[in-house]
Amino acid sequence: MVGSPVLLIAIPLLAAFIIPLAGMIWKELVRIIPGLVLAYMLILSATLLAEVTQNGTIVETIAGWRAPWGINLVYSPLTGFLATLMTLLGFLVWLFSYRFKRNVDFEPAKKYFIFLMMLIAGAVGIVITGDIFNQFVFIEITGISAYALTAFYTGRNSAEAAFKYLMMGALASSFLLLAIAIIYSQLGTLNMADIAVRMHEMDPTYKVIALIFFITGIGIEAEIFPLNGWAPDAYTEAPGPIGAAFAGVAVKAGIYAVIRMVFTLFDIPAAHDFLITIGLITLIIAETTALKQEKLKRMLAYSSIGQMGLVLVAFGIGTAEGVFAALFLMLNHAVIKPLLFFSGSYLLFNSKDKQITEVDGLGKHMPYTAALFTLGSFAIVGLPPFAGFWSKLSVLTAAADEGLLLIIALILIVSVVEIVYYFRVVNRIFFQEYSKEKSVVPHQPRLNAIIAMSILAALILVIGFYPDAVTGILHNASSDLLDKGAYINDVLQTGQSLTH
Amino acid sequence: MDEQMLKILEYSIYGASVLLILVGLYAVLTKKSLIKIVIGLSIIDGGIHLLLIAIGYLKGGTAPIFSPGFEEATAKMVDPVPQALVLTAIVIGFGVTAVALSLVIRLYRHHRTLQIDEIKSLKW
Amino acid sequence: MNTIVLIFVIFLGGAILTFFAGRWKGILKEILFLASIVVPVVLFFTSVKAGDTFDFTLVGFEFQWAMSPLGYMFALIVTGLGLMAAMYAVAAMRETKNSGLFYFNFILSIMSMLGILFSRDLVSFFIFWEIMTWSSYLMVVYQGKDVQKVGIKYFVFSAVGAYAMLMAIVTIYSLTGSMMIDNLVKAFPGFDSNMQLMIPLLLLVGFGVKSAMMPLHVWAPGAYSHSPMAFTSVFSGALSKMGVYGMVIVMASLVAHIPEGHWFREVIAWLGGITAVGGTLWAIAQDDAKKLLAYSSVAQLGYIIVGVGIGTPLAMLAALFMAVMHGLFKGTLFMAVGAIEKQTGTTNFTEVTGLIRKMPWTFLASLMSIIALAGIPPLGGFIGKWMLYESLIGSDHYLLVIVIFFSSTAAFLYCYKFLFGFFLGQEEEEWSHVKEAPALMVIPMVIMAAGTFILGTFPGLIMKPINAGMEQLGFAATQGKYWEMSMLFNEWGDQVVLKPILYAIIAVFAFFLVFLLIKNNKKTRYVSTKDISTSGEVPKEHENLTFSQNFFQPFLRTVTPLMKRKIDTYYNGFGKGVEALFDFTRRIYTGNGQTYALFVIIFVVILLLLKSTLFGL
Repeated sequence: MVGSPVLLIAIPLLAAFIIPLAGMIWKELVRIIPGLVLAYMLILSATLLAEVTQNGTIVETIAGWRAPWGINLVYSPLTGFLATLMTLLGFLVWLFSYRFKRNVDFEPAKKYFIFLMMLIAGAVGIVITGDIFNQFVFIEITGISAYALTAFYTGRNSAEAAFKYLMMGALASSFLLLAIAIIYSQLGTLNMADIAVRMHEMDPTYKVIALIFFITGIGIEAEIFPLNGWAPDAYTEAPGPIGAAFAGVAVKAGIYAVIRMVFTLFDIPAAHDFLITIGLITLIIAETTALKQEKLKRMLAYSSIGQMGLVLVAFGIGTAEGVFAALFLMLNHAVIKPLLFFSGSYLLFNSKDKQITEVDGLGKHMPYTAALFTLGSFAIVGLPPFAGFWSKLSVLTAAADEGLLLIIALILIVSVVEIVYYFRVVNRIFFQEYSKEKSVVPHQPRLNAIIAMSILAALILVIGFYPDAVTGILHNASSDLLDKGAYINDVLQTGQSLTH
Repeated sequence: MDEQMLKILEYSIYGASVLLILVGLYAVLTKKSLIKIVIGLSIIDGGIHLLLIAIGYLKGGTAPIFSPGFEEATAKMVDPVPQALVLTAIVIGFGVTAVALSLVIRLYRHHRTLQIDEIKSLKW
Repeated sequence: MNTIVLIFVIFLGGAILTFFAGRWKGILKEILFLASIVVPVVLFFTSVKAGDTFDFTLVGFEFQWAMSPLGYMFALIVTGLGLMAAMYAVAAMRETKNSGLFYFNFILSIMSMLGILFSRDLVSFFIFWEIMTWSSYLMVVYQGKDVQKVGIKYFVFSAVGAYAMLMAIVTIYSLTGSMMIDNLVKAFPGFDSNMQLMIPLLLLVGFGVKSAMMPLHVWAPGAYSHSPMAFTSVFSGALSKMGVYGMVIVMASLVAHIPEGHWFREVIAWLGGITAVGGTLWAIAQDDAKKLLAYSSVAQLGYIIVGVGIGTPLAMLAALFMAVMHGLFKGTLFMAVGAIEKQTGTTNFTEVTGLIRKMPWTFLASLMSIIALAGIPPLGGFIGKWMLYESLIGSDHYLLVIVIFFSSTAAFLYCYKFLFGFFLGQEEEEWSHVKEAPALMVIPMVIMAAGTFILGTFPGLIMKPINAGMEQLGFAATQGKYWEMSMLFNEWGDQVVLKPILYAIIAVFAFFLVFLLIKNNKKTRYVSTKDISTSGEVPKEHENLTFSQNFFQPFLRTVTPLMKRKIDTYYNGFGKGVEALFDFTRRIYTGNGQTYALFVIIFVVILLLLKSTLFGL
């Protein structure tokens, strides 16, 4: 074994602390160490996932305190899949931002990579932990890194976006603490599996209140409708690769926390319908708002929010096909959205305002980047034979099996809106004339960026043409989520079988 | 009398923490100055911490520390877990407040105002 | 490897290679392009037999690719037109420096059309349908004109249609548990009546968009006229027939077996009639040849839809025959317009005129195509129109006969406008340098025009595959009942024997040959077009005697009030209204951080108040 799950959290945190020290020895180390660490994490998580697929869930206890008293990490097909996805994206973000902007020299680069490490560590931690307070801590770690990364540039807008994010994030953590307080006061335990066992003892009123507080708290991170006011600003003002990291890593962790609550911990069946409703509202409002956007990254942010709404709808359907479709959607979104953010940030590299009208005619001057953006647009809209089509088909067949025809119609109508605003940009890039006054000066991407984007594009094509390459992992993960009993057994059996 | 006083004390601590939360929420939602909002967030945190500790209280319990002469006190210890939670939460809240204040300084440098409803260049 | 897979692999590989070869100069790129189309087509005709299938499973869905007789008939249109258009495209794109994207989309369109015909399961049908949509979309925006208006409109309509189809597909999947079309046809009469209404409706919307049925036709004029003419011949000739293919399957296999079927048929037939009339009227008013042909395509598709809608064997025969003919003559006409555009730089009737002597072969091909379009014997269009009229009368749709007859007659107007505007009329000096189009562009046109002639005399050649296709759909054999190799029948025993017409034409040509001999006698004197005198007035050199301007002025004056309302304006208005609505709803993100915090609190409060209804506890 290459390592154990705890290294997935420990090593990046350690690296985050070492980076400034190493930077004092040799400046390049600041950029190199994150790469090495993320590569190691990727290999570790993939190896562990392979092992988990064969031998079953790995549960690791920390500091010798067995479950349900101590904190334990659960590396199951579901969490392992998500952790591998996040480390893969983290690695690609590092690769892309190895040297991103000319004028970012040593001091800011150091901060950037420290926080990137902490962001990935926090997100992976949210996913693999089995204790709700531990999850809260990791949510806070992710949050603080995110606030700092949003405020990375020194302009006025970045500070504004970061402050709004912080305000809402602080509210989120307050609600989470309240929820944890309620659960602890009623059940006396913080361990997720134990809570799942004892949930039926809890007073229903308190149960619902705790669920509401949890959903509000996590929902702010997961960008559910009324709670996502911070998201467009943060995605727009953060550097391009960080926008990709938010969309691909942070939000997925938030969604995971929501579904872990709804599927495993709480036993309220109506919560699934609630997920469908709130997911649908998020989807509709986000996609329609994206139609009228003038800034490219803001448009991509709204599109991201909309996709997460669709993921929630798919989770809300609740059947095995629904969960499979939701995980497939998460996988595709995690691969496609970063490609859009990456290529988008190079398309508008030299622009001050990052308006969509400035990309006119760039297709001739930056053909590869523009082609990658087009590939991303085709894929995310769900056109065959690219990756997004299979996930959309899975969602729709899962919904059809439950007879939810209205939802199918709404999803498809919103997809048409999606097509309009993505294709407007693609048209501008390739089929409008390049004008010196209106269009931005093209800036060719560096080799590392090209490699990062190409890896994503290759993944999109592979998944598109041969989706069975990933469906095995996804089926495992979906059956793992739905199997509450197995989760409880795996976790609690490493402890003594005490009766309470 | 003693029992009643203790009960009132218990409930008043819960009440006080809820009151704190509401006061903090009031500050966050209605006050226009950025600094007041940050203070409000801290007050909310304070209220929640108080609530957490109050949850762990055991009637007539002692501090959860082993010391010579008190070995059999385990039965009467206050629950240590919430205290650990609160310690962590205090540190987290402190970190977030620090980041928030540094952002407020930067916002002031750029916008020359601390009124939150004038700082909305990113909208829609 | 399975031949079917080989066909598609060669198509796809050829497309990708040709895309990257876009900048190569010289003949290698063109050979690559032609090979990517010719080789799979040859493989298709020689090696694919009736029972060949290719099955595989992906993501839990079963896929099956096999050729059916009906598909084979449409494949003849697709491959025939595709080969001709490919030859044409090579010459047309010779001057473009980076034509990689054009070739890529061209090959992908042909591949996806063939794929649609091969699909026996609904998922691959949908996949190929979408690939066809986006590759043709890239062609529509290829020349960079009006991309936001025309291109997006095309894609939105196609997407609405495709998503309607997708909704029907997933519903079918949940009802029958399988994606195979055969299973759907078998299980359809057993669905409950809501599903029996909804599924064909959704499918017909999807197919109706592609076959430009009113009111879903608004994308067609813009899309057809803005894509390069080399592609428009395939676009209008073959791609629109994919919609017809789908409609035929829905109407004949699904709708025919349900009690409300005849409502569907009536509505579809009347929509076809309205499309025919509307398209014709708008075509007459156009001054640009591309737009004229585009509206004319819409109108011709209207006839086909009428035939599909009526649903009797003769009507279906007529519709399918007209589909083949339309591919032939419309393809030729668009190629002719492309040739004129290449040689003169414009396609506007008021600018170009008098090309008959300079581009004789183009004129010949256009002439024959126009005659076929108008439905005059001995060319093929007559056969289709005759059968359509017979079927309308035979099924008691007398009002529709009047509508179609009116539309057909009005079609003469724009047919003549096309011929006159480009080729006849006086010759101007500015066009005296124009030469005939390159051979590679002329040869396909002439071949296809000759095709209309051959099919006009021997319709049985194509009726055989059509018959096979119809038998697959459940119709009884039509040979011997409605047609023989060179004869047509109707239900009351009348015959149209075509061979004597052929002999008559040959006699006429012999007469003209004699006339030419006399003409070329040394004693004949040639005069210029301006050597005339009308009422004693001799026109000066600068006067323009071509009256393509305000052509058909009296007619246009009559119909302009009718044409004031375009369906297009309603759609545009709807689109604008929707965008305004979204502009309003997006203001929820006010930009003020406190408002967002307020939203959070409101969310929590609402959930707490509604917790019993939401969570049931």
